[in-house]
Amino acid sequence: MTLPDIWGVATIATKFALYLGILISSGTVFTSLVFSLKIYRRLPGSFAFLGLCAALLSFSLLSANLAGDATGLLDVELLQLLWSTQAGTTLVFQIMGMGILTVGLFMGPLGRWVSALGGLIAIWSFSNIGHIAGDDSLLLKITLATHLTAIAFWLGVLIPLKKLSTSEKTWATAADLGHRFGLVAVILVPLVLAAGMFMSFVLVGSIDALLRTGYGQALIFKTTLVSLLLALAAANKFRFIPALRKGNPNAAQNLITSITAEWAVIFAILAITAVLTSSLNLPM
Amino acid sequence: MKRAIFTLLILAWASVATAHSALKSTTPANGAVISQTPNEISLNFGKDIRLTRLMATHADEKKIKLDLSKHNGFIKHYLIPFDGMGVGDYLIEWRGLGGDGHTLNGAFSFTVE
Repeated sequence: MTLPDIWGVATIATKFALYLGILISSGTVFTSLVFSLKIYRRLPGSFAFLGLCAALLSFSLLSANLAGDATGLLDVELLQLLWSTQAGTTLVFQIMGMGILTVGLFMGPLGRWVSALGGLIAIWSFSNIGHIAGDDSLLLKITLATHLTAIAFWLGVLIPLKKLSTSEKTWATAADLGHRFGLVAVILVPLVLAAGMFMSFVLVGSIDALLRTGYGQALIFKTTLVSLLLALAAANKFRFIPALRKGNPNAAQNLITSITAEWAVIFAILAITAVLTSSLNLPM
Repeated sequence: MKRAIFTLLILAWASVATAHSALKSTTPANGAVISQTPNEISLNFGKDIRLTRLMATHADEKKIKLDLSKHNGFIKHYLIPFDGMGVGDYLIEWRGLGGDGHTLNGAFSFTVE
């Protein structure tokens, strides 16, 4: 067992930023569209910019990884090699996706649809690279895209929900949003779990591989974190949101605390996912 | 909460993190002790890979870049000409691109007595 070198660590950190950028910018747009929320350009715009920068840096870091030193960051030969592979295709999808999402933010009501399309394109990029792309199954790629779209939607609702919960004037709106998201979550959460389990089953292949390989163990750790996230989400849906709807003054603070905890767990899940997709081998 | 998750993450990292290494076998084998410096070394991977860097370090001092110019595609088996540097320990470090777009790296060593 070897820990990743400096380029491996930089790749993982950049991928973490890439996940945050693409998923939060896309999710914010998706939820604003579905729940008719007022959309502020700054939030999705900032995360789209983060996603764009992380995509470019991630590509360049792949080149540094291939060279083993900083010269690789701008090594034309290595960058050309990467460009000709799925890494290049992925970068094109990510630049296009984040670009279209940003343009849509400046286009008025119709722009939300354009932004959402951009988000979907960027999310689809993850099906072109990594362990899933190593498998030629279109079903697996669609499963990953569905899994990520549902997660983006989940992340996208947390920011407005928390913001609305901070002011007494908007508690009713927060309760309404939370309630409506709870209805969607009845389909969304099983979808995320089913897609995740299906991909894990295909990629890991056996209980033995799950327990004995680094990839499998990391997956178990990720699943544990997801269980914690589900417990928090259940507390929101079954306790804090109904209490907020009834006008319980403590409910808003409980909801804010719960969402903050959810974010902490989400960051941990995204970090372990970045390790899974960057530096751990699939069981052979 | 955040601190607990961070601690768990570090523990998980330390216990499971491992650099990608799809190398199945090498000649000379990892850890082998041989009597003559080999004229070539081979690396056999489980999946197709495009090697981008191959470095040989002799006795922790002299480091040379091995020639990969004859290998431009994604293949599993590499046979690389090797100019020995005499007796002592050799460390061979490799880096490459997997067919799925992942970067891979690893190392193996042998001793010439």
